[in-house]
Amino acid sequence: MMAVTHTPQPPVDGIGTWRIRFAAMGGSGEVVLAAPAAAQARRCADAAIAEVLRIEHKYSRYRADSVVSRINAAAGRADVACDSETLALLDYAHTLFGASGGLFDVTSGVLRRAWRFGPDAQGRPPQPPDAAALEPLLALVGWPRVQRDGARIFLPEPGMELDFGGFGKEYAADRAAAVLVAQGVAHGHVNLGGDLAVVGPRADGRPWSIGIRDPRRADALMASVPVSRGGLATSGDYERWFEHGGQRYCHVLDPVRGVPVRHWRSVSVLAPSALAAGTVSTIAMLMQREGLRFLDDSGHDYLAVDAEGRLHQRSAGATQAVSPGICAH
Amino acid sequence: MAATESAGDGLSTPAGRILAAALALPLAVPVLAQGVPDRATLSLRVLDYQDRQPGADRVRVKAPALALAMPLAGPWSLGASVVSDAISGASPAYHTRGLSRLSDERNAADVTLTRAFDDATLSVGAAGSHESDYDSAALSLQGTWSSDDRNTTWAGGLAASRDRVNPVTAVVQGARKRVLDVHLGLTRVLSATSVWQVNLGLNRARGYLSDPYKVFDVRPSQRDALRLLVRGNHHLRDGGQTVRWSWRMYRDDWKVRAHTLGLEFVQPIAAQWSVTPALRLHSQDRARFYVEVDPEAAPFVTQPPPGAAYSSLDQRLSAFGAVTAGIKLTWQPDPEWTLDVKFERYAQRGRWHWRGEGSTGLAAFDARTWQFGVARRF
Repeated sequence: MMAVTHTPQPPVDGIGTWRIRFAAMGGSGEVVLAAPAAAQARRCADAAIAEVLRIEHKYSRYRADSVVSRINAAAGRADVACDSETLALLDYAHTLFGASGGLFDVTSGVLRRAWRFGPDAQGRPPQPPDAAALEPLLALVGWPRVQRDGARIFLPEPGMELDFGGFGKEYAADRAAAVLVAQGVAHGHVNLGGDLAVVGPRADGRPWSIGIRDPRRADALMASVPVSRGGLATSGDYERWFEHGGQRYCHVLDPVRGVPVRHWRSVSVLAPSALAAGTVSTIAMLMQREGLRFLDDSGHDYLAVDAEGRLHQRSAGATQAVSPGICAH
Repeated sequence: MAATESAGDGLSTPAGRILAAALALPLAVPVLAQGVPDRATLSLRVLDYQDRQPGADRVRVKAPALALAMPLAGPWSLGASVVSDAISGASPAYHTRGLSRLSDERNAADVTLTRAFDDATLSVGAAGSHESDYDSAALSLQGTWSSDDRNTTWAGGLAASRDRVNPVTAVVQGARKRVLDVHLGLTRVLSATSVWQVNLGLNRARGYLSDPYKVFDVRPSQRDALRLLVRGNHHLRDGGQTVRWSWRMYRDDWKVRAHTLGLEFVQPIAAQWSVTPALRLHSQDRARFYVEVDPEAAPFVTQPPPGAAYSSLDQRLSAFGAVTAGIKLTWQPDPEWTLDVKFERYAQRGRWHWRGEGSTGLAAFDARTWQFGVARRF
């Protein structure tokens, strides 16, 4: 159930800060905004949450009636007509493929079929798949093979899949934030599982202070980032993972080799939109060692923790934008 | 965030291309259907009011009030309140003399049902009150409409009440009073830190409008009043304070003309606390049938002019100036609770009339108000 909570701050000009939590996209989300009364906060937040749910329904690969499921179900058989929003997202996917040297590939979701991050039906712990299991799946990965004819999309091989999971959450956060702006909200943010789209600073003009979790301690923050506008997103190796033979295997998979990336524990990026922040952080994870240079060249502020627990960061006004706390090594 | 707005070297870097592509995605969105609050708020407010003149306490009112706002199914929500006033003390029979004891209890309740639409709300309300000598029943209809960008909100409303007066003095029995009130308001958000509001109201009263407990109080059986309110809230970013100012104008065909200037300053003082000092200046002209104190007659009652159709010796219809100073302390110990306490002092003098044309011969009039409030969200 969605909950409206008034954060314990002094109401400024009768304008309190309201926090509305909800469940979406397989996790928790919240809309935080300044409004004079609960009813108004509720009204604005409901519209933003409805937008998140709309995008979830439209693009979830878990829903048979979603656009993505229809395209995937027709793989190898038929092309599927897409609306302008879907075509715009496919254009974005195309840009990401090029900008990442082929590492960000929206057809790589099939690799998940070989990777299990929890115990199986017999209770056996997960373990890495062998090469024979990966090979046929890797053959299904390849954005350049996706055919587009005007508004029609065709996956040429049965079993090929599109998956917008790599940026759907951040896109939804940006859209939900735009819904808040359209309703006149000037102070607030949308948080979808740790990825944020910030509409504007707190009602008193101070920036929001956003905690970034420690990638090795679920209950600890390693930094607190002041954000007034734009997007903040984190990619990490801690959301789904298992250990085997002393090696950690996370859910971020290199689409070329079909195996998890290892160089970064987490990469957080601050950018003008949640979508840009999320894709830059994911690509940095995928680029592994080269990700650091990619981050430096990006011009965005970032905070990255490598596999040894070393912090790498860049922030304009270095002491101000990112204030690292304790980092578990 | 300046740090990120300068991000990327245009399209020359991969991340620059990503940013350009991310920002090119369609983000212009229609405003979707609006909902209603999913939680209820219950609040209790206790008021203690005492007014006095030199040498005598006059009226005291103790009034606890309970209010509830809660969502109903779908786009509907409900508001309701009950209040019980215990009135005691003494009130002058004429001017500031002839104090006679009074004691009464007033019970009142109201309920409002609101339907939310995409850009609008519509509310209907009913209210009633009962005293031993006075009954009132009212119906109201109110609507709001907001522009697409939510920066402009219009509000309009209509309220009608029917009252019945049965004073213990039995100067009248079952006398009726009918009031119709219309208002129109415009609220404009000028910037993230600035809001303005203009409200215009018309009030039409018909029937028995006199005060049955005052001598020689014969007022016209109709009164048409116009009121205008202009106010603004401005937030100061640096210190987190808020300034609220207001100007109220009132005029009616009894020739009562009044202006009120108000200023409040909300100062956050700690994480959970804020303090709000407030100041109000008021000045009003006398009603055309108000009878000034005749010093020759004192201490006896001043006689109305011979042949006057209407007359009143009520201090409230005299010409005066008044100052109210108050302070409010608000504490929000956790997300669900809000507590506040407010203290106000009111002082009214004839010589404080803004043009120096105040009524004479009246005792100074002072009042103090304590108010304690607690609200809990569920």
